[in-house]
Amino acid sequence: MASVAAAIDPGEDALAEPRAAAIRKAALAAGADVVGIAPVHRWDEFVPEGCRPYDILPGAKSVIAVGVRGPTAGGWLSPEHRLMEVNGYDFANDRVVHVLADHIEREYRYRAIMAPGLPIAGHQPLFSMMLAAVLTGLGTRSLAANIILNPKYGLLYYSACITTLELPPDSMLEQDVCPHPMCVQVYKHGGKTPCMAACPKDEGGCLDGAIGDDGRIESSYYDRERCVSRAMNFGINSFQKALEQIANEDDPERRRTMIHSDFFGRSCEGIAFFKESVAQCFECMRVCPIGRAERKLK
Amino acid sequence: MNADDPATTDAKTGATMDSTMAANKAELVEFARKGGALVTGVADAGAFAAAMAGQRPTDLLPEAKTVIVVGGAPPRAGDWQVPNYLHMETTSTSDRMFALANRIAQFVERRFGYYAVAVPSGVDRARQPFLSLALAAELAGCGTPSLAGPVLNPEHGFLYFAALLTSLPLPVDGPLAEPVCPAPECRTMWDEQGTTPCLAVCPIDAGGCLGGRLENGRVAERRYDVARCTTRAQNSFIPGFQKALEAVFDEPDKERRRMILWGSQFTRTLWSMSYSNVSQCQCFECMRVCPAGRARRELR
Repeated sequence: MASVAAAIDPGEDALAEPRAAAIRKAALAAGADVVGIAPVHRWDEFVPEGCRPYDILPGAKSVIAVGVRGPTAGGWLSPEHRLMEVNGYDFANDRVVHVLADHIEREYRYRAIMAPGLPIAGHQPLFSMMLAAVLTGLGTRSLAANIILNPKYGLLYYSACITTLELPPDSMLEQDVCPHPMCVQVYKHGGKTPCMAACPKDEGGCLDGAIGDDGRIESSYYDRERCVSRAMNFGINSFQKALEQIANEDDPERRRTMIHSDFFGRSCEGIAFFKESVAQCFECMRVCPIGRAERKLK
Repeated sequence: MNADDPATTDAKTGATMDSTMAANKAELVEFARKGGALVTGVADAGAFAAAMAGQRPTDLLPEAKTVIVVGGAPPRAGDWQVPNYLHMETTSTSDRMFALANRIAQFVERRFGYYAVAVPSGVDRARQPFLSLALAAELAGCGTPSLAGPVLNPEHGFLYFAALLTSLPLPVDGPLAEPVCPAPECRTMWDEQGTTPCLAVCPIDAGGCLGGRLENGRVAERRYDVARCTTRAQNSFIPGFQKALEAVFDEPDKERRRMILWGSQFTRTLWSMSYSNVSQCQCFECMRVCPAGRARRELR
């Protein structure tokens, strides 16, 4: 807001760069793999009123997005897919953002909040972490379920901090991360990229799309409902589904069996604090060449 | 290992594989200690012969060479002193150790460049663990199985364990040479009374969960009623929620159903399942009387 900006000491300008450097350092030390900064007005042309960073935190000047790798390289290598289901996500990105928000408020005396990432109505989040990742220059949208891919790491989990602190921004990526040149070649020969082939819409899967002659995404299709029903079948959704079935079952013996079943027990674990099975299908990302080099270890 | 063999010598530093492995292990142990581990041990990934097929380290990570086990986060000395047993119900869980194992797995990959993956602390299909943490702890020399069930560490007694699998070769600790259980006091009690403190506090033949026999100062037989123990030790966690939910749906009277849903028991099951992790494990009685690690609980 203008009143906040006017209150900023001119000497603050000189502090912007070192503060940004300190914020990046703090984020990396807290476990982030990548950090990006964007001015809040980058959101103006993409989101409706009410969802802009300065609607959420009045006076907001900057958004800091962080990305962290989810599964370890060892997790990707495991033939037991359930291992990835359970270990795929540990909320490290959220922890980093809390560290940053604390850092900004304590060290610089500016307001900072964790950007709200959960839906408040339907499936629409108040603040899109995907958009934040793109606008802060951390990645670009992919053919694989619109996942924002980072050029170095590929799949990352993102969180963001909204702050009234004005910081020097990063540029958005000029080059699309997806499709990878290898995928363009595969598409030219077979009409599908590796991710589309792993989960093809026409064969009951979730993905489809087209790559133009310029090697860029021309169109993309993602069946989110189908993906959710497969990728999160031991999370909140499966719990709700199972609870509906249990409630609709009239026979007490059958109901008892359903309540104490392996499936319902695991659904309960999926919503419990220790986050068993919150994401279970990584197949489109498993075949994605972006970030694969980072997963090759000894 | 021969230090003159080029295959076992680092080309850059000239260090032997043995010394590199020892240095890596020392760094890992220190990382774990700073993260809250009271004990850290390393097991050979190939030593899990007693594990079921599908639950061996190489079933989960084919490249696994070693299994790193960390133990810690026991109830504090103060916790054991609180006269209200409900306090202990709400303060002890294994999630701190699992979070540490996750961090160590990331550290191994980023610091040493070897594959690593934390073993999930929960259960897989049919309530089976991904890998037995008790067996891992035993094979890593972190403790030995006890009459009461938990693997006991000789210094700390009862601990929570977590493990990670890695392709990083490390010096292996191996199982302890001497069993921690039965403790000398328990052997004496057995000779005099035919029972031990843990068997006496929860006798399987008198409605409890534990039974067993000592012979020549060693555990010769052990009986454990896991189903009975679960219904008592986890009655505010997911099993408690399932039980309460069954009661809700079986209740035809709306007012009574309302009372169940808003009742203390059902509320606690929800607290226990959600992030606040209240009431995870609720019966420590066999461990309360165990002499292993008791010295650690005696403070001012």
